[in-house]
Amino acid sequence: MPGYYDMDDILMEDEPISVVFQVGAHGCGLLDPGSETNDIEKGTKMDLPYWLAHQLHLRQAVSISVPASFSQKTKKEIQADAACVDLKGRCPYFYELGCKIAPLVGDKTIGTFLLYAFTDRYKEILSKSHSGPAVPRISSRLTKEESQLFEAARSSMAAFKKWRTGGSRLEKASILGRKRKRTIPLGPSSP
Amino acid sequence: MYGRSASQLLKEQASCESGQLAVFNNEAFDQVIKECGEHHLQLESLFRKLMEKNVDIQTTRNGGEHLGAFIHHHSLLRNKRCLMAYTQNRAEIIRSLRWQLGPVLPQEIKAKLSYSEEVYFVNHSAAMESYMSEMDIDLTVDMVPPKSRSVRVKVLDDIGEVCVGDHSISLTKHSLHSLSRTDAEPFISQGLMEEVSE
Repeated sequence: MPGYYDMDDILMEDEPISVVFQVGAHGCGLLDPGSETNDIEKGTKMDLPYWLAHQLHLRQAVSISVPASFSQKTKKEIQADAACVDLKGRCPYFYELGCKIAPLVGDKTIGTFLLYAFTDRYKEILSKSHSGPAVPRISSRLTKEESQLFEAARSSMAAFKKWRTGGSRLEKASILGRKRKRTIPLGPSSP
Repeated sequence: MYGRSASQLLKEQASCESGQLAVFNNEAFDQVIKECGEHHLQLESLFRKLMEKNVDIQTTRNGGEHLGAFIHHHSLLRNKRCLMAYTQNRAEIIRSLRWQLGPVLPQEIKAKLSYSEEVYFVNHSAAMESYMSEMDIDLTVDMVPPKSRSVRVKVLDDIGEVCVGDHSISLTKHSLHSLSRTDAEPFISQGLMEEVSE
């Protein structure tokens, strides 16, 4: 489970969620960039990041509606052809957010929907990661979680190929990057 | 406010490839701390208003100034979490630097660290040195299981005279040598040499 310091968890909690305030709040007007007063009226509809929406929901101060990424429209698109849907553009943390949002909005179908979408897209990810061009078109449509899987498959494939061909095992430290400041061109490139 | 600057800070670090460091963003870091101060001021003023009104906590629990204070409080917690995750993730990478690059950092990496991070690296490095010298073993060699005792290397940068075992070798650019793994490993890791196959 993600911990306090996990970057992906923190960035996922930043995703905007549409909420409606059930009670007014005083003294925090800047929360809504368009508001003129320092108060939020009851009934205001706005987008809040997940971390705030979640806490306010626990206090029953807001009501949360199902985000657009989990709406009927998206469900239909995924059922038509899951691998073609641009989930990265809609919601880069699609699966994580779906898992967290499901109990808040009370939609029991989100779970099965996420599973269906993942299994369908996984076939494409698997086949494209083990062979094919270095940056296939599908990688611009993958969510963060799927990209991590894809990268893991890519790097283990590369490591396997390197082992097969017996490449050098002592390497330059990865943090130094690939480019080095050079004024004179090098001789033949490394293996 | 409300965690937006903190998210920008984190996104910048997250956008680097994993294991890479971005330059320590002093401005954004200070901006987040300043916002924490503002949230705190707002909290204090809301609490003062509540004390003045002197209302019964049970009836007005769920609205008005209470909710405003609640939002400011959680923004503070969020800012704290973001700042701590930022420093923690960078600290992890800095610790690994000692294993990869040895006790002296190259200038290009040093430029990316804040002053406290440099001090952290020096202290961590010293702790490792004292342990390794007490155990009389160098833990940072043989990071991959060795297959042979010596390797053929090509020197990429002028390193000069280096003491290897009981004699010294002159390492000039583009020269080829056959060194033992343990001697060559730190140079290869720093990018000063590369392994060549027979």
